[in-house]
Amino acid sequence: MIRTRFLAAAAVAAATIMMFTGCASSSGGNDGADVKPATSGSVTWWGWTPDTPVAEHYIEEFNKQYPKIKVAYKNFENVDYRNTITPALDSGKGPDVFDLSPAGGSPDLWGPYAIDLSSLAKDTLGSSWKDKIGGSYIKQLTSKDGRFVSLPLGGMSAGFLWYNKNILDEAGATVPTDYASWVATCKKVSAIGKTCFAMGAGGSDTFPTDMYHSIANSVDPGYFIKAATGKAKWNDANGVKVLQIIKKMKSDGIIASNALDGPQYPLANAEFMKGDAAMVQMGYWYAQYAGASSCKASMEAAGVSDPTCFVQMPTAFPDVAGSGNESTYFGEADYGLAINSESKNIGAAKTFVSWMTLKKTGQQNVANAIDLLPALKGVQPMWPSIKLVDVGAQRPAIEKLLSDSGKATESRQWQTTEKSLDAIVVATQQVLDPSVNKSIQSIADDQQAASVASTVGTK
Amino acid sequence: MTTTLDRSVGSDRKRPPAREGGHARRRARLLPGGLRWILPGFAISVGLIYYSIVYSGYLSFFDWRGGRALMTPVGFGNYMTALGDPVLWTALRNTIIYFVVVFVVQVAGGTLFAAAMHSNVRFANVYKVLVVIPVVVAPATLAPAQIQVWQSDGTVNRVLGALGLSGLEQSWIGQSTTSLLVVVLVGCWGAIGYGFILIYAGMSQIDPELIEAGRLDGAGNLRTLYSIVLPSLRPIIVSLAILNFITALKLFDNPWLITQGGPAHSSEFLGTMIYSETASTDRNLGYASALSILVLVIAVAVSIIMQMRGRERVARSSTTRKEVEDV
Repeated sequence: MIRTRFLAAAAVAAATIMMFTGCASSSGGNDGADVKPATSGSVTWWGWTPDTPVAEHYIEEFNKQYPKIKVAYKNFENVDYRNTITPALDSGKGPDVFDLSPAGGSPDLWGPYAIDLSSLAKDTLGSSWKDKIGGSYIKQLTSKDGRFVSLPLGGMSAGFLWYNKNILDEAGATVPTDYASWVATCKKVSAIGKTCFAMGAGGSDTFPTDMYHSIANSVDPGYFIKAATGKAKWNDANGVKVLQIIKKMKSDGIIASNALDGPQYPLANAEFMKGDAAMVQMGYWYAQYAGASSCKASMEAAGVSDPTCFVQMPTAFPDVAGSGNESTYFGEADYGLAINSESKNIGAAKTFVSWMTLKKTGQQNVANAIDLLPALKGVQPMWPSIKLVDVGAQRPAIEKLLSDSGKATESRQWQTTEKSLDAIVVATQQVLDPSVNKSIQSIADDQQAASVASTVGTK
Repeated sequence: MTTTLDRSVGSDRKRPPAREGGHARRRARLLPGGLRWILPGFAISVGLIYYSIVYSGYLSFFDWRGGRALMTPVGFGNYMTALGDPVLWTALRNTIIYFVVVFVVQVAGGTLFAAAMHSNVRFANVYKVLVVIPVVVAPATLAPAQIQVWQSDGTVNRVLGALGLSGLEQSWIGQSTTSLLVVVLVGCWGAIGYGFILIYAGMSQIDPELIEAGRLDGAGNLRTLYSIVLPSLRPIIVSLAILNFITALKLFDNPWLITQGGPAHSSEFLGTMIYSETASTDRNLGYASALSILVLVIAVAVSIIMQMRGRERVARSSTTRKEVEDV
């Protein structure tokens, strides 16, 4: 009797497990690909970016053209988004539109829930639609089964510094271009009681990989992607040299002694925004804080009351290896918009997504926010309508940054596995940690052992 | 053996029929009502918790990123990967260190405060509130303050500098050698209050006459504490040990909020490891499930061992007491 009951209970448990897991292997549908865009309806949009005020601005502009489509945006923290979106999509209660980036193989993870957007792009931009979208964004947002699952809203680039012009002017220092000039600048900045280069390499955040990548590009352009995709080793001569430079940067006073106190956000961001640090390494998204009003908001968010904006400028990452290699930028699609294949509002969602990503008016909003590089080719910020803290100094610098970013040939994290990114972070932390008693070669060996080569974008 | 059997048979035979009928009636009347009462708890514990455990065990044999991603069977691959991962061993080492230090400090600190509060000190209620506050404040609320205290330009370094001990100033959170210390100290700070609550309640249960008898026999404060109070608190201390071990095994909030397990995984715990696997862009849910099952196995095994040891000691001490009484 007991055995029978046990078997029955086991059968029920197994059936329940099968029921729950059955959905795991089912692939996404494309039922909505043929639905025509609609001019009315309601759309829910979930994402970790943009911030709610920016999204509300986008929606407001969209509603000027499509007043009968109501869009409701819900913003999540990065990690919360990843943990919320999957069960929501699985349960059929997911949003109509959701953010989908190329990072960490997301097109394969969430692509099965999204409709193929290639026909929408073709209908909107014509048969040559692929030539009208910048970078390698289409490739990055296409899943392994060849479905284009997310229309890019914009891209981002990294591999350069932002500096506080006011601090450098006060210290009588120049913008560094190589290792020696960086050390000299830091001495002058330290003399006026400011931090030279704010860096948050603590915790498990992957921001330190940007600095590693920039130094690697100074040592040997192309080395980073080769190592990330298994065509070079993280512990070869180049890898060891990168780690040696990081160690030297700390001992020579370029990297602050508190670099391991916390991650880039909030540590380094707050130091820079408070006006306590002269330089910080951030990507193109930081350009938005050059704006006359957004700089105040970001300084207030960093804890400054009644702030006076400083002049924030981008500059190339110095040639720290001294090998004469220009610091090449790296970037990829920041994120795109996907349409839930089980949405009941696919028509309205298509109108919204295509307006945001494929129409000049929508993309103009993205460009004017100077937060993302517009995905649609030919769209540039309308500078007369953008208020900067110091237009004369900042506009040419940001325009050059925009132009150089568009030429970036290397991806930022798209072709680097999570394991490899984590291994870079750990190696950087060990190099910066004065209590770690390991040789650079040994740290690089451990980094290589912990890394997993990526196959993304190699074929 | 035979005698026992005879007695039980005899007692059954002597049971009046009316009483048997009463049993049957009571069972018929009470059973459904009782079931109704326990059904919500039963459904939650069996339906959700045990289902989750079984499902985690099932997932641990797959390489799976969640949702509609393909589930690839990997057998014991996730377990082998976990056992070969140096971060797991660092996390286990940190768990043991955290458990031992926090438990010792909790029992010592809790006993000290509880003994003091039982000594008719003035403003006892104020002290009780002060000791218990760290227990009720959420770690997420305290974490920014803890970071402020321990970071390079934080309170600890400033105090050390003011005391002329600048040589001891360091990046407490940003060093592999001190990040775990910070997490452990923050844990101790919160744990003492919890230990105090239980030990204070336990001390209230001790018969005052027992202590008085000890005093009459010439026992001083320390002797009374060691020979009368602490043996009476043994069940509470065993419970605290089990609870502390389970807390250490699933520790997540403080290490994640203060150090995120870093630098270089030096303050990693099993809880932060599991979270990292589920929250990363990779979302290794199969691997995270394997880690969860390992935590479960360790927790159950250690709890059973601790309880068995506790019972053996109680049995030994009762036997000894009985022997003394017989003599």
